[in-house]
Amino acid sequence: MLGRTAQNLFWLSRYIERAENMARLLEVGYRMSLTSQREGGASEHLVSMLRAAEVDEDFERKHEVADVANVSQFMLFDETNPSSVRSCLLAARTNARSVRTALTSDMWESLNSAWLEFASIDPRETTGSRLVELLRWVRTVSHRYRGALLSTFLRDDGYAFSQIGNFVERADNTARILDMKYYVLLPRTDLIGGDVDIQQWTLILRAASAHRSYRHVYHDRFKAWNIADYLILRPEMPRSLIFSIGWINRTLDMLEEIYGGKGAGHAAAAEVTAMLEGNSMDRIFAYGLHDFLTEFISKNNQITEAIAESYNFY
Amino acid sequence: MKLTVTHTLTCPLASPSRAVEHVLLTALSTPQQRVERWSIEMPGFADAATFRDGFGNKAYLVSQTKPGDTLRVTVSGTVETIDRAGVLGRLEYDPPPAMFRRPTRQTKPDAALIDGIDPSGGRIAALHEIMGRLHEGRAAMHQSQSAGVQEQASGSAPADLAHAFIGAARALDIPARYVTGYLLDEDGAASFHAWGEAFDEGLGWIGFDALLNVCPTERHIRLAAGLDAIGTMPVRMVPASTEVPAETIEIVEG
Amino acid sequence: MPGPSAFDEMTNADGSVREPYRVLEQWLKEQKPQALGLMAADAEGIFRRLGITFAVYGSNEGTEKLIPFDIIPRIISAIEWRKLSKGIEQRVRALNAFLHDIYHRQEILKAGRVPEKLILNNSAFCPEMMGLDPARGIYSHIIGVDLVRVSPDEWYVLEDNLRTPSGVSYMLEDREAMLQLAPDLFQRTKVAPVETYPENLRRTLESVAPRGASGSPTLAVLTPGIYNSAYFEHSFLADQMGAELCEGQDLFVENGKVYMRTTTGPRRVDVIYRRIDDDYLDPLTFKPDSMLGVPGLFDAYRAGNVTLVNAPGTGIADDKAVYTYVPEIIEFYLGEKALLSNVPTYNCTKPDERAYVLEHIAELVVKEVHGSGGYGMLVGPTSTREQHELFRNKIIERPDNYIVQPTLALSTCPTYVDAGIAPRHVDLRPYVLVGDQIRITPGGLTRVALKEGSLVVNSSQGGGTKDTWVLED
Repeated sequence: MLGRTAQNLFWLSRYIERAENMARLLEVGYRMSLTSQREGGASEHLVSMLRAAEVDEDFERKHEVADVANVSQFMLFDETNPSSVRSCLLAARTNARSVRTALTSDMWESLNSAWLEFASIDPRETTGSRLVELLRWVRTVSHRYRGALLSTFLRDDGYAFSQIGNFVERADNTARILDMKYYVLLPRTDLIGGDVDIQQWTLILRAASAHRSYRHVYHDRFKAWNIADYLILRPEMPRSLIFSIGWINRTLDMLEEIYGGKGAGHAAAAEVTAMLEGNSMDRIFAYGLHDFLTEFISKNNQITEAIAESYNFY
Repeated sequence: MKLTVTHTLTCPLASPSRAVEHVLLTALSTPQQRVERWSIEMPGFADAATFRDGFGNKAYLVSQTKPGDTLRVTVSGTVETIDRAGVLGRLEYDPPPAMFRRPTRQTKPDAALIDGIDPSGGRIAALHEIMGRLHEGRAAMHQSQSAGVQEQASGSAPADLAHAFIGAARALDIPARYVTGYLLDEDGAASFHAWGEAFDEGLGWIGFDALLNVCPTERHIRLAAGLDAIGTMPVRMVPASTEVPAETIEIVEG
Repeated sequence: MPGPSAFDEMTNADGSVREPYRVLEQWLKEQKPQALGLMAADAEGIFRRLGITFAVYGSNEGTEKLIPFDIIPRIISAIEWRKLSKGIEQRVRALNAFLHDIYHRQEILKAGRVPEKLILNNSAFCPEMMGLDPARGIYSHIIGVDLVRVSPDEWYVLEDNLRTPSGVSYMLEDREAMLQLAPDLFQRTKVAPVETYPENLRRTLESVAPRGASGSPTLAVLTPGIYNSAYFEHSFLADQMGAELCEGQDLFVENGKVYMRTTTGPRRVDVIYRRIDDDYLDPLTFKPDSMLGVPGLFDAYRAGNVTLVNAPGTGIADDKAVYTYVPEIIEFYLGEKALLSNVPTYNCTKPDERAYVLEHIAELVVKEVHGSGGYGMLVGPTSTREQHELFRNKIIERPDNYIVQPTLALSTCPTYVDAGIAPRHVDLRPYVLVGDQIRITPGGLTRVALKEGSLVVNSSQGGGTKDTWVLED
C-alpha cells in the first residue's frame, strides 16, 4: 500500500470522527445556552466549547458575540475554520477521492452523498430545531461511514490505518472535553454538587454521549469522581481514553502481523497505555487532572507522528 | 596530443531528502579523439543508470538519498586528441542531422549575422564567414568595454557565441548543434568550453569555435552535443541547484 | 445547415426503421409515457452516487459536474463494426510505425512524403525520444479515434488521440447504468461486451513491461491528482485493473529505477500508465518547475528500466496539421489505401485555399492546431457574423495555426430530451489497445450534442454520452 494511501485513510477517519465530535459539542453548547445566557446572548458554554476545539481565537477574530447563531455558523459552515463540520466533511471527501480505489463503494458512497447533501444545505435555514436536526444528521453520517467500514472493508492494513486514525481522534476529543471542564471534576469538600455543578457534569457526559449509559454503569447520581473515571478508565465505555488506546493497541498488533514487525507506533502507544492501565482516579487526581490530560493529549499526538514516520506518510 | 583532464564541480544544495542528476560529462572516442581512460566520481555513481540520450551522448542518471548541502563531482580522464581541421564526420549514435534545424529559445537567429551570406555558393565557406563575423564582433565589443564588464561578458562568451553561430546556421537551413567540452588554450589555461558543429553532406559534422575563430583543434576535448546549452548542461539536477557550481579544471599534456 | 438532411442512425428518410434499431424501437413503443423520464432520473442518481463526475476548471473545490447520460443507446450492426474496426486497426498500425520512424531514421521525411519542417520544428515533436526503442516498438498503446458518420456507409476520422485519450470510464459506466436501467432490453438482443476493457488494458500494459521485469509486472497509473478533470477515470481504471493509483510524489527514482513509496518501503514499478502530459512528466528532462512529475523518470525510461504508456512525443502523430497526411502515412508504411477517410482539410498557408476559406467561412469549421476540448473552434453555420470576422482575422494573422474543414452533417441519433425523444447529433470514439496484440473494444463512447442542431459534442461544451452497442451476429 502506498504511504500516501495509508495517510489518507488515517486522516479520512480522523476527520469523520472529528465532524461527529464537533456536532456533539455544538449540540451540548446549544442546549446549555438555552438555559443559561449571559448578557448580549453570549454563552460561556459556547465559549468553552470553542476553547476545547482550539478555535476560540479564530472565532474571536471573526465574531464579536459568542451566541448560538454565530457559533453554529462558525462550527458548521465556516470554510476558514479547519474544525468546522464543513471543513471536516470536505477534507474527508478529498482524502477519500485520493484513495478512491482503496475504499469500498459503500464507504465511498456514504461520504460522497454526505458531502453532496451537506453542500446543498442553506446555512441561513439552520436555526432552532433545524439546527438540532442537522447536528444529529452529522452524527449519522459518521455512523453510516463507520458502519460501511465495519461491514465491508477488507481487514487488511488499510483497515488498520483507518481504525488508528479514528481512535487517536476520539481519544484526543474525549481528553479535550474533560480538560474543558476539569475544574468542576476536582474533588472538593462539599460532597453534594449544587445545580451549577450538575449542569456542568451533564454537559461533559452529553458531549461524550455518556449521560444515559453512566446510569447503567454506576447506578448512582452524577458524581465528579465517577464521571472522570467513566471517561478515562472504564474499558466498557466506547469513548473513554482507555477504550480508545486499547483499540489502537489491538490494531497496531494487527499491523505487526501483516507487516511482520513492530514500528515506532507501538512504542508511542505503549507510553499512552502506561498512563492508563493499572492507574486509578485517586492517583490521577493526586497527580493533577489537568496535567494528566495535557500529557495525555501530547503523548496521543506522538502516536500519529510515530506511525507517520514508520509507515512512510508524507 | 595526449591531454589529461581533472574537473571538479561543487554544487550547493538546499539539503533535499533526495536529489537526482542527469550527467553529461563523458568524453567518447571519435575521429578527433581517442579516450584512453575516463572516470566520474560522485555519490551514487556506482548505482547510476547509463544510456545513450536522444542526441547520441552517453548520459548517466544518478541519484542520492539525503545528499547533504553540497554535491561534489570529479571527472578525470586521458584523451589522445587528433587535429582533423575540425571535421568530426559521422558518429554511430548521431540522430538524423535534419533534427538540428529545430530552433530553440536560446538559438534565435540574428539577422545581421547572416546578412548577405548565401550558402548556395558553398556551405563551408558560409559557415566560416559566420564564425569570422562573430569573432570580429566579439573583438570589437572587447575593445569598447571597460575591464569589469569584459570579465563578466567573457564568463558566458563561449555559450553565447555558440548559440549565435548555431542560430545563424539554422536560419540558413544548415543543421547545427551545440557542443560542450574542454579547452586547453595556448597559454596552458584550462576551461569548460562550448562551440558549434554544423553539418555538411560531404564531410559530416564540422566544428566551429567562434571564440577562437578556429575549427576545433587538438586542444579541444569533446563531451556532448545537443540543441542548445540547456540540453547539454554537464550536470542537470532536481532540485535545481540554487547557485552556479564552483568549478576547478586542470588539463596537462601527457 | 444540417438538420433534416442529416443521416439518422435509427430512422430512414421514408420513416422506416433501420435494421439494427428494430428491437430498440419496439421496446421504446412498449414503455409507458412516464417510464423514460423516471429512468433518466434514476440514471442521474446512479452516476452521482458513484461519483462519476468531472471537475470544472476554475470552479470551487468540491464542485463537480455530471456528464449527462442519455438513456437511449446508439446501435451499430456487426457488419458495420467489422468494417470500422478494420479501418481503425489499419490507422493505429500505421501511426505507430510512423512514430517509430520519426524517432529513428526518419525515412518518410527523407522520402519527402511528409514535410520535414512540419515534424521536426513542431512543438509536439520530442527530440529526447530519438533513438529510443520502446518495448515491442510501440509508442501509442492506448488510442481513441474520433469518428463521425454522415451516411450509412460514410465514416470520417475527425482526429486520432494518441496521447492520453480520456472517456473510457464513461464507456464502461454507461454500459453498467444501461444494464441496471433496462435489463429487459439486453435480454432481447445480443450486445457485444465492453467490460473486458480493464482486463485487456492490464494485459496490454503487462505485455510491454521492460526486459528484466518480473513475470507479474507492477503497474501504476500516474495521475496529476484529484483536481484533474479526469481524476475519476484515473482512479476508476486503476481500481478496475488492480494497479496502484499514484501521484508524482508517490514515485521516486533511485539507482536508475522507479519505485513507489509504500508503507513497507520502496517497491519497484515496471509499467506506468501515465495520465500526465509530456511537459509535466519529469522536471529533470521537461518543464523544470513541474510539481506533478517524477524527477528522473524519463531517464529511467531511456535506460530501459520502466515503460511509459503512452510514450512521450506521441503527440506528433495526432497533431492537427499532421492529420492531413495520415492517408499518405498509411500508404507509406503499409502499402495500402486508407480504409477510413479523413475529413477534407484546407491548408490556410496555401494562398488559394486560404482565399476560399476566408470567403466561405460561414459554411466551414475552423480548429486551432493545438486546441482541444472544443475550445478555440468556430462552427461557421451556427456562429454569428462577428465570430466569422474574428476568425477571419485570426486566420490572416496566423494561417499555420488553424485547420479548416467543411461542416459535416453529423449523423443524428434519437435522444431523450425535455420535449421527449428527438434526434441529436452524435460522434463516436472507439478505444484501441496496442500491446502483444491490437484490441478494439466493440463500440466506444458516443458523445451527443444535447442542444438542438448543435454539432459540438464535447462534455465541456454541454455534450452528453450514450451507451454504444455493437450487435453480435
